[in-house]
Amino acid sequence: MDTPRGLRILVVLPLYGGSLPVGRSCAAALAELGQVVEVFEAPEFFGAFTALKTLRVTSDRLEYLENSFLQVVSQAVAAKVETFAPDLVLALAQAPLSRQVLKRLRRDGVATAMWFVEDFRLFTYWEAFAPYYDLFAVIQQEPLLEKLAAIGQPNGVYLPMAADPMVHRPLELTPVEVKRYGAPVSFMGAGYPNRRLAFRELADFDLGIFGSDWDGDAVLAPRVRLSGRRVTTEETVRIFNAAQVNLNLHSSVSAEAPVVPGDFVNPRTFELAMCGAFQLVDRRTLLPELFADEELAKFSSLPELRERLAYFLAHPEARAAFAQKARARALAEHTYTRRMETLLRFAAERLPGWPSRPRGEAALAGLPENLAGEVGQLLERLSLPADVAFDDLIWAVRARQGELTPLETSLLFLDEWRKQYGPRA
Amino acid sequence: MRRFLVLQLARFGDLVQTRRLVKTLTYAAGAADAVHLVVDHSLVGLARWLYPGVAVHGLAAHGAPGRERQAAEQAVLAGRDVLADLAALDFAVVYCLNFSPLGMAIAAMFPPEIQRGYRMTAGQTDKDALLRLVFRLARDRRGAGLNLADIWAHLAEAPVSADTVNPPAAPGGGGLGLALAGRVARRSLPPEVLAPLVRTLFRATGGKRLVLVGTADQAPAARALLRRLDPDVARACRDLTGKTSLVGLADALTGLDALLTPDTGAMHLAAALGVPVVGLFLSSAWCHETGPYGPGHRIWQAVTDCAPCLEAAACPQGLACLAPFADPVLPRLLAGSTKVAPPAGLVGYVTGCDALGTVCRPVVGQDPTLAGRTALRAVVARRLGLTVPGEPALEPGLVQGLTVESDWMLPPPGRAADGEW
Repeated sequence: MDTPRGLRILVVLPLYGGSLPVGRSCAAALAELGQVVEVFEAPEFFGAFTALKTLRVTSDRLEYLENSFLQVVSQAVAAKVETFAPDLVLALAQAPLSRQVLKRLRRDGVATAMWFVEDFRLFTYWEAFAPYYDLFAVIQQEPLLEKLAAIGQPNGVYLPMAADPMVHRPLELTPVEVKRYGAPVSFMGAGYPNRRLAFRELADFDLGIFGSDWDGDAVLAPRVRLSGRRVTTEETVRIFNAAQVNLNLHSSVSAEAPVVPGDFVNPRTFELAMCGAFQLVDRRTLLPELFADEELAKFSSLPELRERLAYFLAHPEARAAFAQKARARALAEHTYTRRMETLLRFAAERLPGWPSRPRGEAALAGLPENLAGEVGQLLERLSLPADVAFDDLIWAVRARQGELTPLETSLLFLDEWRKQYGPRA
Repeated sequence: MRRFLVLQLARFGDLVQTRRLVKTLTYAAGAADAVHLVVDHSLVGLARWLYPGVAVHGLAAHGAPGRERQAAEQAVLAGRDVLADLAALDFAVVYCLNFSPLGMAIAAMFPPEIQRGYRMTAGQTDKDALLRLVFRLARDRRGAGLNLADIWAHLAEAPVSADTVNPPAAPGGGGLGLALAGRVARRSLPPEVLAPLVRTLFRATGGKRLVLVGTADQAPAARALLRRLDPDVARACRDLTGKTSLVGLADALTGLDALLTPDTGAMHLAAALGVPVVGLFLSSAWCHETGPYGPGHRIWQAVTDCAPCLEAAACPQGLACLAPFADPVLPRLLAGSTKVAPPAGLVGYVTGCDALGTVCRPVVGQDPTLAGRTALRAVVARRLGLTVPGEPALEPGLVQGLTVESDWMLPPPGRAADGEW
């Protein structure tokens, strides 16, 4: 089945958190696929949300206000839907879409999808919200898909994490950057209990730890780099590129064992692969179908990690071979573009009559030849397909930042003129 | 070494019920002295006795009736040195366990990201998601069923197993103990209702010894009870009401065969010592919230339609929940008879443990709240990421009702704001 094109898709970002960059990558990928994308910028509301925390009111009143505020933001999404009339609303985990608004969207025939990029065992509120979405994409397989079906969500789909090759890419680093971000053995991430446990046992390796939440550990303190502050995505890419070996140990809130078995594969796995950086990753049950044994070096226990670490530090050619193969696989199969294609094909397969919005007259139809050429170039600049509908082009022009060109203004003028005087498609 | 601070400014019973959390933190830190505990001055001795090795700090957190105002306030301000000592320590997590401005004021001394439980930042009080859920559950106490000790323990990551918190409940050969009353008189039985139950249990525990414990305020009630007991029971009685410190109370309870008690601090202390508890729960007391901790304790809980009621409100039902305890059948049930039906409105439970913590399981009578409580515990266990044997199917209506939009739209607690898998 071909991926539908020329769709209007509203991507609803969360207020903050790890799914925020995932949402932005989804929006970019959808645009690359020739969809007309509008983004609901929930992070813009985050400042007001945090202001509630400074009110100095009773905690009961605070909870009430927080929920009321989220309802208002959710209503803002609904208003945006009303105006944009999307074929699909794609929400990322923690997106501010209340059950009330989801019910309304369903009543109005607006298709909704959630990409729940969370561990369903840890973050269990999906049980209350999943039935209200038309599609529910998850990063785990069974028993989650069965559980979704049992609570009234028949359209669960496995959609593993991915990486954006425009963001996570191989870099040539300056000597200063290598000094700042480099380490023979490097870890980038937060100090979850299992990681603390594991890394204490790697004292004889030259380990550099980047990321936050590593306070209060005297053994690891000398290893923590950049003062244990949060690092930006751009810095993360440099850290990945600067290491000889990147450790990738999936997090666990339990301090019972350093390496905890699990199923889903974290974004870091894809990001490191996309950077062409070598990684040692703990085995996950869903990893083999994403990366073959010769593409990623894996471990299941602390002794195995130590043994493999020693080997790969001594064998740069082996590291390079793994890294190269992992990047090739990631580029071919694990981009957000591929994930969005999968999701849209799944939507077309599962949602009867979708997309239901009639396609308007093509933007280029009926335009004088000289103008059609210029508009064609504009479509390319806006990443819109050549057969995009006139209305969708107008929407994309309206969403442009900054001053419009005479051509863009002419198109807006034409749109307004047609609304007043002309027959519309 | 990771240091933890626990702010427990409530009463005696609450201090004992903090045991699962303190044990969890001691285990997580790898050393008892990495755990610091702040309590009211009056509880410092007991806290040190209960939690050997833990660094206990005392503050003037409770009222000072009869004390001159200026002197009382000076005592409160003397706590400044304790606060300065705490501020100088590098705590990984600070647990504020009481929905009380006192505890939250101390929590405000620490960065918001390390505060758990009840918290305060820049003058704004707030509470963890688990406590928000507990408050929502509290709207229907009859359907709720989480032991307070477990709520506190689950504020920490990976609490120690519930059945390892207290020693197994086992008779110690020291006779019967009786705790006279809790802080709320309505939650206790009057002497005429209590006497037949004491008589029965005295005989059931071998007729050796009866120990009465309680505060000086409860001494008249002890004397009134003694007047109603058989002479041989009264002769075997040692009345310690008003005569023990809290540590002395622990000594008095140690080795008893059983403690008959309403919902009291002594009850929690007995459970902590492995003394089998026979708990009498009525009025506002609800064993599923504040029952004795650990497996093997017995509870008689009033389940009349009005139970549990509000502690602060007057009873409009003529103390209907007291009647089943006065039923002549109850002594026979206490003696172990299985041939009689329990009085209407009363259920007998035995405590056990599950993934969530301590649970009261009905063994005598019809429990009208069992199904709802079981369903609710399954939802809460799932929310806490616990594995429940058999993975019970969740009731959709319950899941919907217990979820609010902020649960779903904000990243999980503990997750860094910029995200991390």
